[in-house]
Amino acid sequence: MAGSTSNGTITVRQKPLGQRMKKYWGFYLMFIPVLIFVALFHYAPMFGIRYAFYSWKIVADPEWVGLANFEKLFRQSQFSVSFWNTVVFSVIKLLLNTGFAVLISLLLNEMISLKFKKVSQTIIYLPHFMSWVVTASVFSLMLSPTATGLINQLLLKLGVIKESVYYLADKGWWRVWYYIINVWHDTGWQTIIFMATLTGIDPGIYEAASIDGAGRWKKMWYVTMPALGNTIITVLILNLAKIMNLFESVFVLQNDSVRRATNVLQTYVYYQTFNSGASADYGYTTAVGLFRSLVGLGLMLICNYASKKVRGRGIV
Amino acid sequence: MATKEIRYTTPAGVEVPPPPHLNKQKSQYTPFNFVNGFIFILVCLIVIVPIWKVLIDSLDLTTGYGMKLFPTKFGLDGYVSVFTNQSLLRPLWVSVYTTVAGTFLGLLLSTMGAYVLIQWDMPGRTLFANILLFTMIFSGGMIPSYLVMRGLGLTNNPLGPILLPAINVYNLVLMRNFFEGIPASLFESADLDGCTPMGMFWRIALPLSKAALASIGLMFAVAYWNDYTNFKLYITDRNLYNFQMKLRDMMQSSDLPESVGGATENTIKNACVITAILPFMILYPFLQKYFVKGINIGAVKE
Repeated sequence: MAGSTSNGTITVRQKPLGQRMKKYWGFYLMFIPVLIFVALFHYAPMFGIRYAFYSWKIVADPEWVGLANFEKLFRQSQFSVSFWNTVVFSVIKLLLNTGFAVLISLLLNEMISLKFKKVSQTIIYLPHFMSWVVTASVFSLMLSPTATGLINQLLLKLGVIKESVYYLADKGWWRVWYYIINVWHDTGWQTIIFMATLTGIDPGIYEAASIDGAGRWKKMWYVTMPALGNTIITVLILNLAKIMNLFESVFVLQNDSVRRATNVLQTYVYYQTFNSGASADYGYTTAVGLFRSLVGLGLMLICNYASKKVRGRGIV
Repeated sequence: MATKEIRYTTPAGVEVPPPPHLNKQKSQYTPFNFVNGFIFILVCLIVIVPIWKVLIDSLDLTTGYGMKLFPTKFGLDGYVSVFTNQSLLRPLWVSVYTTVAGTFLGLLLSTMGAYVLIQWDMPGRTLFANILLFTMIFSGGMIPSYLVMRGLGLTNNPLGPILLPAINVYNLVLMRNFFEGIPASLFESADLDGCTPMGMFWRIALPLSKAALASIGLMFAVAYWNDYTNFKLYITDRNLYNFQMKLRDMMQSSDLPESVGGATENTIKNACVITAILPFMILYPFLQKYFVKGINIGAVKE
């Protein structure tokens, strides 16, 4: 099949398209189920985006309104609160999780006893496998203002607080505990990717640094940190692209008294559609969802560009 | 017998002092290692204490609570209440069959899709890959998805939460990365021996990917067992709730099952939380390496 041209380059002549497609007919058959699933669950909803330009009260038929939904959206204070909550919650959570994960990985890496290291890793990965419902249940039991709440009882005994605080029903405290619970749930699992980088560092470099007289801290700063830097940036970029997806972790920790102050875009859409009775407007909430998808797409493209610059390949 | 002293000499035979990193005897008991060990004991305690508190409360039949390491009045009545009550057993069963069926279907779709995507010479391969990847960067959103599911008759249908999460592009890409590591020569020689594409899939691709199948299968299983969002969105019939939905309901209201024996309301709540995490708690120590491998299949290509 390969013919050589006069200037030395080799061109590979492929068989005609029809023949190649015939050769692969079995593979096309295998791909049909995947295509059906993707078409039904991912592409079919994209056609529903047109409802963003309709008003569709549940009891009536959809009615074309043009851009009215978007005008309404930017006037609603609940919308802007939800949008900024999405951004702030995600970014702070991302920075906290990554920071703690790097710190824990560095310390794990310095651990002398391999057995202790293994046990620690097993334990800190554990919360990742607990669903958000379970996590929320565990912490609402822990933070309960009644006699069963461990945190309140502990703080009362220590004399830090005078009377029980209902932490998850207070706007300020809710945010604090949201971040703490997220760190508890995700940090351990995030260390895996950093530990993989750390074990990949050539021990020869550490040896060379030792010979040159570098101590533990110097080695950490001049050998370990530069090696981790790339991974940290990768993790930040990958997660930044997904910040608009925030839903379940917020949804399960919310309660009626803090809902309005802690909504993110996805929970706002949920409550507007499924919890507001006959006044629900599929058109309006689709518009909010479209706004969210577009911001997410923009972030993806920016992060993809950043990823190509930093590590030479995109994220998708 | 005197200990042998190592002498460091240059090739010319001149004696030099030992290099600094071999100079001092390394002690394991440095202050740093003590502090480091202490930090990790603390970190592990922070992770364990909330789970431990729930565990002992689920085994405690007293009504007085507070801080304690072990149950004051030990009893399994909380668990008896969970496992004898019809309103809790049904959601548990829904969780079990959703997880089993969903994991199987998810693995089937991921491996078949991934196997097609590694056929470099196949016309349309790039198009197929792009069709899949586009769904990772853009989506119709919650409401259009809901309307499609309702149109398909998958709301309030036990099939809904099984079918929807089965197509997971991220897992499919992980599987493809793994398949790419299989030497192409294996497929070529099988092809020369007259093996069909399906035959190569079953006899070469799958048997060589047992570790990846275990990792990705576990990722699916965890996702299905822990699924709450899809049930919340698409299921309103209480008879079709899975265990996560039931647990959430119980935590929010006092919609508690009748207690058996001496189990108090709080004991039953705690027992339900433990029941929800029990399967993975039991399997986790044995399967940890597969869980960790899963995240590293994606990282190999970094």
